Amino acid sequence: MIEVDEKKMPWSKGMTITSLFQTLNDVEYCSVVRLNGKLISRPQFTDTPVPDNSIIQLLPLVAGG
Amino acid sequence: MGQINLKEIKSVSYEKAEVKKGYTDQSLRINLSSNDIIIDPIEEKIKDKFIGGKGYDLWLMWNAVSGDTKWNDPENAVCISSGPLGGTPGYPGGGKSIVTAISPLTGAPIDSNVGGYFGPYKKFSGFDVIQLDGKASEDTVILIDGIENTITIYEAFDLPEDSYELSDTLTRHFDEKKPVNVSVVTAGPGADHTFFGCLNFSWWDAGRKMVRYKQAGRGGIGTVFADKKIKAVVARFGAISMKANSPADLDALKIVTKTHAKEINELDPKQNRMALVGTTHLVPIMNDHDCLPVHNFKFGSHPESKVIGEDVFEHIFDKGFDGCWRGCAVACAHGVKDFSPFTGPYRGKKVFVDGPEYETVAGCGSNLGIFDAQTILEINFYCDAYGLDTISVGTSLGFIMECFENNQITTEHTGGLDLSFGNRFNALKIIHQMAKGEGFGTIVGKGIRNMKKIFAQEYGADPNFLQDIGMESKGLEFSEYITKESLAQQGGYGLSLKGAQHDEAWLIFLDMVHNFMPTFENKAEALHWFPMFRTWFSLCGLCKLPWNDIVPEDNKNTKEPAKVIKHVGWYTDFFNAVTGKNIGPDDLITMSEAVYNFQRIFNLKMGYGTREHDTVPYRSMGPVTVEEYKSRYKRYDDQLIEKYELDISNMTTQEKVAALRKNREEQYELLKDAVYERRGWTQDGIPTLKTVKRLGIDFPEVLEVLKKNGVK
Repeated sequence: MIEVDEKKMPWSKGMTITSLFQTLNDVEYCSVVRLNGKLISRPQFTDTPVPDNSIIQLLPLVAGG
Repeated sequence: MGQINLKEIKSVSYEKAEVKKGYTDQSLRINLSSNDIIIDPIEEKIKDKFIGGKGYDLWLMWNAVSGDTKWNDPENAVCISSGPLGGTPGYPGGGKSIVTAISPLTGAPIDSNVGGYFGPYKKFSGFDVIQLDGKASEDTVILIDGIENTITIYEAFDLPEDSYELSDTLTRHFDEKKPVNVSVVTAGPGADHTFFGCLNFSWWDAGRKMVRYKQAGRGGIGTVFADKKIKAVVARFGAISMKANSPADLDALKIVTKTHAKEINELDPKQNRMALVGTTHLVPIMNDHDCLPVHNFKFGSHPESKVIGEDVFEHIFDKGFDGCWRGCAVACAHGVKDFSPFTGPYRGKKVFVDGPEYETVAGCGSNLGIFDAQTILEINFYCDAYGLDTISVGTSLGFIMECFENNQITTEHTGGLDLSFGNRFNALKIIHQMAKGEGFGTIVGKGIRNMKKIFAQEYGADPNFLQDIGMESKGLEFSEYITKESLAQQGGYGLSLKGAQHDEAWLIFLDMVHNFMPTFENKAEALHWFPMFRTWFSLCGLCKLPWNDIVPEDNKNTKEPAKVIKHVGWYTDFFNAVTGKNIGPDDLITMSEAVYNFQRIFNLKMGYGTREHDTVPYRSMGPVTVEEYKSRYKRYDDQLIEKYELDISNMTTQEKVAALRKNREEQYELLKDAVYERRGWTQDGIPTLKTVKRLGIDFPEVLEVLKKNGVK
């Protein structure tokens, strides 16, 4: 299992942030996540594996600066 | 009592105006030439139209200066205001001051939004806004004492040179027993010798028992302040509660304050963690999105950036409450204690560094090829102590480093200094020189626009190359974001009123990452709504961070998530609770629109404010050099083929650079057309008569300026 924004979700082998996002709704504004405490940005989503038991927070960075 | 010498020149007692619904309805003018202290009422029609904050500042300045006024003329006025909502304890970001003057860098009005307690203390002492004009003959300290109800002008002797010590000394001098009652505004020696001197606004950090600082950084307001021989303006006031602002509906104010603060306390730890890392989380995010300035904005990322981001600063920052206003839940004003500089007058001593924020890390770190947190801290410390804007310092140093590496300037010009990227020792040497008015630092301190002229006319440098890589717009150095792939953000910089600062619009992610504004009309709409809404914070005395840096969990389900409409609603409630008015969210935009257009016409009055001044250097639009093109060749090649439908098979890289440039520059001009139309301006970028009438700013003197510029 993994936890996404405090909600439990099933984990699958080979899961990446991109594949995880394909199972989530309303993530088009999410360009950064915190994966087990580390910031991961959209350009790295495809190449970033999500280990089992991960804790993920979706960061709603919409218009910073 | 510190070892300083203050000689009283003039002192007046006054009857303190009662604060009513966020306003005192009084202004204070101090003329340094005549030592006149003038308290005036603020007319109801001015209050209705200009709201407060930056609106009040601009109105006073408009009446103080003529179109011929230069930054160092006595009539130039430094205006400092709060705003009707400023000074609300516990409301996140609820204690900002807004400062304006005619800028030494741009020749037009500049505004800066800054933390610290000065704005609220000044208001509760009886004044919505203060205007400082004239020029003193000797170093001067001004005290606005809202406890004793006196205003005193002192000639000052034996004061510490730098802001770091001066604010501390004056804080303890004016209220040794309760230093929390004092907030000090100071410039520093950097303001005497550069055009980008900043102002430090202090507050007493009760937890650490020391003075802390935030900076009104942009545009050289500190330089104007120092030119008037003002060493410091001090506000003194006692206990503050929510009742101090005399809100129309205290219960409603308590509810909205508690609601917003509670949300931040719950969500910030899950989102950007600003209460832990400030804005340093942006370093890795910008790097990963190719938006972190590296080597004078040539590149957008660097593998070593990982050593100057949140991972490092989270461990370096001193733990404790870091709100620059009382009870602010965002509390992002972090600092580093017991830092020991390795250069300069504080070498080997232990100091507290207020910062760094993202802009300083990016501007004085990656942009200079300095990937070393200790050096960034040292630059941050000395810029604050000397009163220098870290953004202009970083962007200017980046410019001279690229000039040096391209032989546009040599050691013959730099006094023997090797200014290659990454040379941290010589970067610091230039900063020390700027503070002392010595060596090549005096040239750098004039800012990029002036350096371009000097390098071309006196050193024989290539003016076209300097124009392309000199990151300034309207004379103001760029803040620290790469905009090459975001046309909307190019407009965010180039079409902003004061110059290249991102506080009007930050659209990079919406545009570049999410592609949510594919058409010119979409971009123009964003370049209307966001600048207007962001302006509103500076009318009211607020910080914008709580609006969109911590957002509700259900925000993504709203119609327009970028606007964070739930928070817009809370700000409307906040405004109504304090002022007793009954406005809706759309009215916030209209309020700002009036002041925004007035500021544009103010630019026009000063000889700017037209299309030709809304330009940006090509470095902000695309690759200037072959090296830059090659660093992202696939992106650029694809764009030439797919977007511009060019056959590039036989093109050299130089030809591709030229083809891309032609197209991108055309796009930028088309963007200007669309934005001007959306804002109700002529194609020369001037508000139309219809627009000023709709906004109710059709004062005779405004119409006169428009008429002079062909708008009837």
